[in-house]
Amino acid sequence: MRTTVPVIIAFLSGFVMILAFFFNPEKSFIGRLEPEVLAWVTIVGGFTLLLGVVSIVRVNFTAVKRRKENWPYKLATLISIFAMAIPAILPSSWSPLLGTGTGSIYDWLFNYLDAPMMSTMFAMLAFYIASAAFRAFRARNAEATLLLVTATLVMLWRVPMGEAFLKSIHGDLPQYINTYIMGGANLAVQRGIIIGAAMGAAAMSLRIMLGIERTYMGK
Amino acid sequence: MIVLAYILLILAGAFLLYMTFRTNDRRYIYLAVAFYVIFPVVLTMQLPIDISPESQQLYDAIAALPDSSAVMLTFDYYASTLAETEPMSRAVLHHMFKKNCRVVTMTTIPLGGPSISERVTRDLAEEYGKEYGVDYVNLGYKANYVAVLKGMGSSIKAIYPADNSGTPLDEIPLMAEIKNYDDLDFICVIADNGVVEYWMSIVNAQYGIKIGSGVTAVMAPKIYAYVGSGQMTGLLGGMKGAADYEKLVGKPDAAIKGMAAQSLVHLFIIFAVIVGNVIYIVERRRGKGRV
Repeated sequence: MRTTVPVIIAFLSGFVMILAFFFNPEKSFIGRLEPEVLAWVTIVGGFTLLLGVVSIVRVNFTAVKRRKENWPYKLATLISIFAMAIPAILPSSWSPLLGTGTGSIYDWLFNYLDAPMMSTMFAMLAFYIASAAFRAFRARNAEATLLLVTATLVMLWRVPMGEAFLKSIHGDLPQYINTYIMGGANLAVQRGIIIGAAMGAAAMSLRIMLGIERTYMGK
Repeated sequence: MIVLAYILLILAGAFLLYMTFRTNDRRYIYLAVAFYVIFPVVLTMQLPIDISPESQQLYDAIAALPDSSAVMLTFDYYASTLAETEPMSRAVLHHMFKKNCRVVTMTTIPLGGPSISERVTRDLAEEYGKEYGVDYVNLGYKANYVAVLKGMGSSIKAIYPADNSGTPLDEIPLMAEIKNYDDLDFICVIADNGVVEYWMSIVNAQYGIKIGSGVTAVMAPKIYAYVGSGQMTGLLGGMKGAADYEKLVGKPDAAIKGMAAQSLVHLFIIFAVIVGNVIYIVERRRGKGRV
């Protein structure tokens, strides 16, 4: 029962969406099913977010309660979750500080704490990339040398100073890089990856619909 | 003076790389990167920008829209990539408002997406004297983006019964004219994640609406596949793409200012790679194998 019901739901959901694609949503019952199912999916999606919040609170709360290793960080996580969530959930009609609108507590916390912290974490990549480039990016063989030369050319091409340098060698060099590296070799490889991934996704969807793939149920 | 500054920059980079090699302490490289980022920002160095063909294509597509066209601008990015993506959103929105387009904004990002779109649209709407609900609307966020993108093809109201601030869509005049993708003339997706591919495979491929995009530099090579095939109408790649668009709309801002810092860091990394490889080759010939 615990396996059969999810498989039936998965099959029906997928089947309806495939079938509805071929019918006009304004003129047929099957076509009208599509927006209905999609509205359900967004509602279920909302509940999965809630499930995620419940899960992270439960895991961290247990760790804090049992004084596990690094528990102060987990406490900080819990405080952060509630500090952002509670004012955001409460209706803005009570106070302009509540809700998620401009000038609310949530908005202030996001703009002045969350956004700078996330940007800082991402910006730190530049330091690691520079260090890794000096210490590990080596022309050890033909493939690595090809990658190194291509990467160098693209990095030069993407910034004004590099572009000016390339132009000083040959006026059309930046255009050649765009045409032959980005629009040639890169494009061919990316297309292969995209088509391969799409076929893989289609095969996986079919496996889920037919109940062959059950890992999403934890099996 | 400028030549002297460049010589100083090169000498500083070379010295810090030498110190890294000598002491095997990577913090010298970190110092060099910090130096190359801070130096041009403090001196407000500005460089000439050559417009990429893909940026020009996006600009031309929006420029070719009739006045008062209905367009959608998405804010599908997290705060971590704001430095690259927000200047794109601002530059494109400048262009849309200049052309008196009626703009619908939305996001597929729960964390901060609605706040970013609210802040950017209100800032620019004030500058252009645009009225909320008549000239632009912020739909905000809804969970499960695949269903959201697909569902808006049938009915935007079915997916978004209310806008970001909770006003029912029925009470918003602009949304009375925009029911689904058929009523939109163009969509510009600004994203830092794979959602842009869903915009192409679901919205462009199935509903035939023109889509242009702005993505982070690391994503741009992948998205080139859609530009090359003619499915995507224009692409802004990374901060350079944002700088291109700022120049095209005549609103120089954060991206153009950031180009000098990005140029110097790129050049430093290339210099570091070359020096690292020279050391590697020399030491391999000597049979040391330290590097």
